[in-house]
Amino acid sequence: MLEIQRGVIELNNEVIKLQDVTAGYKTVTGFKSILKRYQVVLKDINLTVSKGERVAIIGESGSGKSTLLKVIMGLLKPIKGEVYVYGKQIYKLPWRERVKIIRKIGYVPQDPYSALNPLLTVKHAISEPLEALGLKDEIIEQRVREAVKFVGLPQEVLNSTPDELSGGMRQRVLIVRALVAEPEILILDEPTSALDVSIQAQIINLLNDIYSKLKTTMITVTHDLAVAQYLADRAFILRNGSISEEGPIDQILSNPRSEYTRKLVLSYYVTSFKNNKSVGTE
Amino acid sequence: MVLAIQAKNLKIGYMDEEEQITWATRGVDLSVEEGESFCIVGESGCGKSTLASAIAGVLPPHALTMGKLYIFNQLVINESERNYNGIRGKVVSLIPQNPGTSLNPFLTIGDHFYYILRDVKGLSKSDSIKIAQEYLSKVGLGKDVLEKYPHKLSGGMQQRVLIAIALASEVKIIVADEPTSSIDANLRAQILNLLSKLVKEFKVTLLLVTHDLASASKICDRIAVMYAGKVIETGLTSSIISKPRHPYTRMLLDSVPLLGSKKSLNPLPGEPPSLVEDFTWCSFRDRCPFRIEQCSVEPPLIPVEDEPHLVRCWRFREVS
Repeated sequence: MLEIQRGVIELNNEVIKLQDVTAGYKTVTGFKSILKRYQVVLKDINLTVSKGERVAIIGESGSGKSTLLKVIMGLLKPIKGEVYVYGKQIYKLPWRERVKIIRKIGYVPQDPYSALNPLLTVKHAISEPLEALGLKDEIIEQRVREAVKFVGLPQEVLNSTPDELSGGMRQRVLIVRALVAEPEILILDEPTSALDVSIQAQIINLLNDIYSKLKTTMITVTHDLAVAQYLADRAFILRNGSISEEGPIDQILSNPRSEYTRKLVLSYYVTSFKNNKSVGTE
Repeated sequence: MVLAIQAKNLKIGYMDEEEQITWATRGVDLSVEEGESFCIVGESGCGKSTLASAIAGVLPPHALTMGKLYIFNQLVINESERNYNGIRGKVVSLIPQNPGTSLNPFLTIGDHFYYILRDVKGLSKSDSIKIAQEYLSKVGLGKDVLEKYPHKLSGGMQQRVLIAIALASEVKIIVADEPTSSIDANLRAQILNLLSKLVKEFKVTLLLVTHDLASASKICDRIAVMYAGKVIETGLTSSIISKPRHPYTRMLLDSVPLLGSKKSLNPLPGEPPSLVEDFTWCSFRDRCPFRIEQCSVEPPLIPVEDEPHLVRCWRFREVS
């Protein structure tokens, strides 16, 4: 049983919990009711993620996936509802306290081609999270080198700028940057959508390798059902800002309960090798 | 048989500030018949988008060209000379990669149709709007879209508008550059369905450029696989997908994650070669598990038995 007391919730092993969260973006100001002043993107979201779990948030463009990530990472205060990270209601904490909690989260952004500063070397980009922690230069140097080795990048890459790297290498650099501060939760926003098929496979294998070694809690946001299947054990299907289905990913994909999930799975098969018909005959 | 597109030893390169030339295509030989759906598949940097730009007539002025390119028997690239008069926008139209940045944010959709149809067919505003309504309905959009600005439309609607604009010009060849990259499965299925239907209805030649072999396999009659600026395998779609003969094509197929299958993914090792230096060996040699001494000489496109299937590999029999 959960016991709520002074904004702290005792959890067995839940690291993230969203309770009836409604969130969106401010549109106009004036004497209107609070909901009218927001474009509501997420509606009544209830979601829990346990320690060491691999979870996928699946949905089409515009379904609210990226907004949900902002809420979880303490970057967008919900209009209503509670957000708990490691049992703390993060939006009720002073900013400094909130930052301490948020530092447990590592984030890999969507587009490796625009997420790295083109003027900074890879070493500088990876060092930034450690500099923010106030670590000494020697320790930063050592941890950066270890992290780069861990994801299979050569040490020479540290002196390169992003334009000298391929898409797959840039994505590995982003993964290193997220991992270098030793986060307990890793959030991946469409980690393979901007990559070629051949590089996709490299990144999926790398992320699975990282999970098997570190057992970091992993939340993957994706529109690709096959990628979700490889990177998660449990999934939430997001539709128009609400969770339309949740459960073990194999069950969701093999026996979807909601009409929407059935449509998503069917669309996937229509455009995959498994269906021998051409799309024009569907 | 009328050839819609024919490339003969086509080389396209870009010179950098240090006067080094990167050859994006290193000698492409290709022919696409009229009315065919043809797909060019390959990784980023293999030269497929440069080839698509050359066919659509939108190569940047500083691009260097060698070899020949014919569009419906008209020579558009003759070594360093380029002449697309009467071809660009009238015979060939391009559906660009990113619909969000391809439409002018200051123009309504109606204005997009007007300016293009005025330039291509000399139509008045009222006539172009009538045609726009007709073609928007073909792609499943209402006439209310004409008054809207691009940012008011979803990604799928923007992509449909671009397809409608391409069709309204009544071109004979449509070049679609990654029309389904980075979109979700539902939208991908809709766009592929639409392209497939429209190609049959309007009897246009479709050149689809993609890195997604699954999408290519759904709507194309033939596929050409490009690697390091050259076509390394080409043949009927069914033959390429079910019996790939080049190790690269086979490894590319093995690296695709499939729904409902927990097979381990086999990513391609290493990186493609730099295209700055010219080389005479097989471009896939350093990543290839089948490499032998003979691979120090680049193979030509070799016919595979009786099939209309060509492959650039000395050991294609062992690969299959």
